[in-house]
Amino acid sequence: MAGDSWIAFLSERLPELWLRTGEHLMLTGISTGMAILLGIPLGICAARIWWLRGPLTGSVGILQTIPSLAMLAILLALLQKIGAIPAIIALTLYALLPIVRNTLTGLEGVSPPVLEAARGIGMTPRQRLWLVEFPLSMPVIVAGVRTAAVVSVGIATLSAFIGAGGLGQFINRGLALSNTNLILLGAIPAAVLALIVDGSIAASQWGLRRRRSRGSRFRAAIDRCLRPVALLLPVALIIAGCFAYFSTSTASSNPAWGPPADDGRTVRIGTKNFTEQLILGELMAQLIEARTDLRVERRFNLGGTMICHGAFKSGGIDLYAEYTGTALTAILKQSVIVDPGRAHETVAREYRQRFAAEWLRAFGFNNTYAITVRKPDATFRNLRTISDLIAISGTLRAGFTAEFSERPDGYPGLRRAYGLQFREVRDLDPALMYQAIANREVDVISAFATDGRIAAFDLQPLRDDRGFFPPYQAAPVIRTEVLQAHPELREVFELLAGRLDDATMRRLNFEVDVKKRRPGDVAHEFLESRGFLEREK
Amino acid sequence: MISLKHVSKSFDGGRTFAVNDVSYDVREGETLVLLGSSGCGKTTLLKLTNRLLESTSGTIEVDGQDIALQDSITLRRRIGYVFQGIGLFPHMTVEENVAMVPRLLGWPAKKRRERAHELLETVGLDPKTYAHRFPEELSGGQQQRVGVGRALAADPAYLLMDEPFGALDALTRDTLQQELLSLKERLNKTIVFVTHDIFEALALGDRIAVLHAGRLEQIGTREEILKKPATQFVRELFAKPARQLAAFGGML
Repeated sequence: MAGDSWIAFLSERLPELWLRTGEHLMLTGISTGMAILLGIPLGICAARIWWLRGPLTGSVGILQTIPSLAMLAILLALLQKIGAIPAIIALTLYALLPIVRNTLTGLEGVSPPVLEAARGIGMTPRQRLWLVEFPLSMPVIVAGVRTAAVVSVGIATLSAFIGAGGLGQFINRGLALSNTNLILLGAIPAAVLALIVDGSIAASQWGLRRRRSRGSRFRAAIDRCLRPVALLLPVALIIAGCFAYFSTSTASSNPAWGPPADDGRTVRIGTKNFTEQLILGELMAQLIEARTDLRVERRFNLGGTMICHGAFKSGGIDLYAEYTGTALTAILKQSVIVDPGRAHETVAREYRQRFAAEWLRAFGFNNTYAITVRKPDATFRNLRTISDLIAISGTLRAGFTAEFSERPDGYPGLRRAYGLQFREVRDLDPALMYQAIANREVDVISAFATDGRIAAFDLQPLRDDRGFFPPYQAAPVIRTEVLQAHPELREVFELLAGRLDDATMRRLNFEVDVKKRRPGDVAHEFLESRGFLEREK
Repeated sequence: MISLKHVSKSFDGGRTFAVNDVSYDVREGETLVLLGSSGCGKTTLLKLTNRLLESTSGTIEVDGQDIALQDSITLRRRIGYVFQGIGLFPHMTVEENVAMVPRLLGWPAKKRRERAHELLETVGLDPKTYAHRFPEELSGGQQQRVGVGRALAADPAYLLMDEPFGALDALTRDTLQQELLSLKERLNKTIVFVTHDIFEALALGDRIAVLHAGRLEQIGTREEILKKPATQFVRELFAKPARQLAAFGGML
């Protein structure tokens, strides 16, 4: 990308960059603060009570080993909530280990003669702690806080998966849209932020340290002025974060932690983390905005089906677009229904009973999984159906999305249905999968039938000749409660019912994935071209 | 007066005794030196006296009152303690170190500072130069002067000194010993002084208590001990340095 277009890109994204940076700082600041308030007393307990030491340091150590995404998913399941709260809890738990451990190490490192003197001159245990042990172990404790804060900045990028905002939002979106600029827009500021946070705590430690300044009187005077300033730098940073957040958070910029939308006039729309979902989310959002008086809160880019469904079930989002095949097999754990109409009826009935939710009419396209190879390979080896792969599967490398590798309607079932045995199966991010097959790093992928990149990368989907894949008709799923409060939504979504066939959806995806346009713009253009945005009088 | 009656201390539940049935009185205004080699129980006796350790049996009275019945924190603030490892608080200035016990006792800040400066004068450190330094900026001898100042801060009647000059070079030690003697004259404190150095014991002690393997071998003035050693151990303890001294005198 040329320099001036980078500048254009940046200046266009600047307000949101501020917003996300603010969110990121607040996530990090609050969680590190909580970890300090919790971790230092825990560290003291571990140092004082010998039988607590092992269990305490052990359990905070175990917390640290839980993979970040798993931690977020567990908290989502436990709390039944998406957004900032589970993210802050997860970050706090991660930050505990360095703080507890360093507090313990610091306290244990206080020299025994000094401790004996403190006891011998008549300090109470509390006075010993506050006057002697604490000040002397402060450098080690602050070092732990620094580690915790820097780690938090890093892990906070993952909290975008559960809709907690922050700079990870750019990275997530960039991954979903395979847009490198977006990824960098999140990753570079996050790295810079980590350095700034670390530096500010280091400065504050310098401000805290009591040493007579050597050198000139002038130098000493400067020191005296600078120390209090340095001491307050981390606080200033958090205030700056709040300021960045509140000065840029408006309804249109979709802050992740907007006020709770309980005013009855706001509909929260979620999406999973890939292009088609983002376009569908925008289509639904813009229709609602244009044709009703309701406001829309976009909680896009939730990390995968389970997180999206979890958020939906717990009321974190009111509606999102789900696929019949996914609902049937991955969520309801039922067997495949080949007839699209019957599949829709079944999931609608089950959702009404189990989740108090309604399936509206499907958009029209069927985004089934498409086992896909490179077109030249297909021609050369005469591959047309999945069965054609059976004989040669032992020589092929497959790249599947993580979801596909696990879902019963994915690779495990496919392998049984066709007797496939690939030489190697790799889990790939949906956004990277197409690039990987084009670069010949894998030979077979689990593409999405409506993906614009199938054409763009010159790929060939193979026919599912044994009818293994269920239909994946996308349709809006909405909580019954919300639909009853706003019956006009049914009419609004009726406009889209059956209007998005495979070709249309593929074209919209192509605009975003290959032409790198924004999902919102593409959705707007489509709605406008169909005249859906004009409000009937 | 500090009075020990049949005091014993065991660290292993009674199998061995670090201090074994020791009784002595420390008289008002005297300096009693506890003399013995390392492991003889002299430091343990000192720690028992301000309840840094609790005795296994026997009683210790300070001013006629059993210390086991007193609050240990209050007791310690009433008894000055100079530590073997000095143990100055490295994150506090000299002034703050000296003023620590007054601070614990809740004196107002101004009075604390005045007292600290007065004490620094007493131990031979110019407050203008040293009050705002940190311990690491001082020599070993200067640090132990601050240690003595800290022990004296709340004007305690008793001073416990645990090999305070042990880590210092001979010259500095000699100076500090002389100063301690003059300090004693001026301040009229009752001092219990622990050392393994026979010459230090002879120089400083009004009376000397010789300890060996947790037992009190003899207690008396230096004349009594030198002229009438009560046990074989005491006789040999002083005989060897006396021979060395004689040989040294012969060389001169």
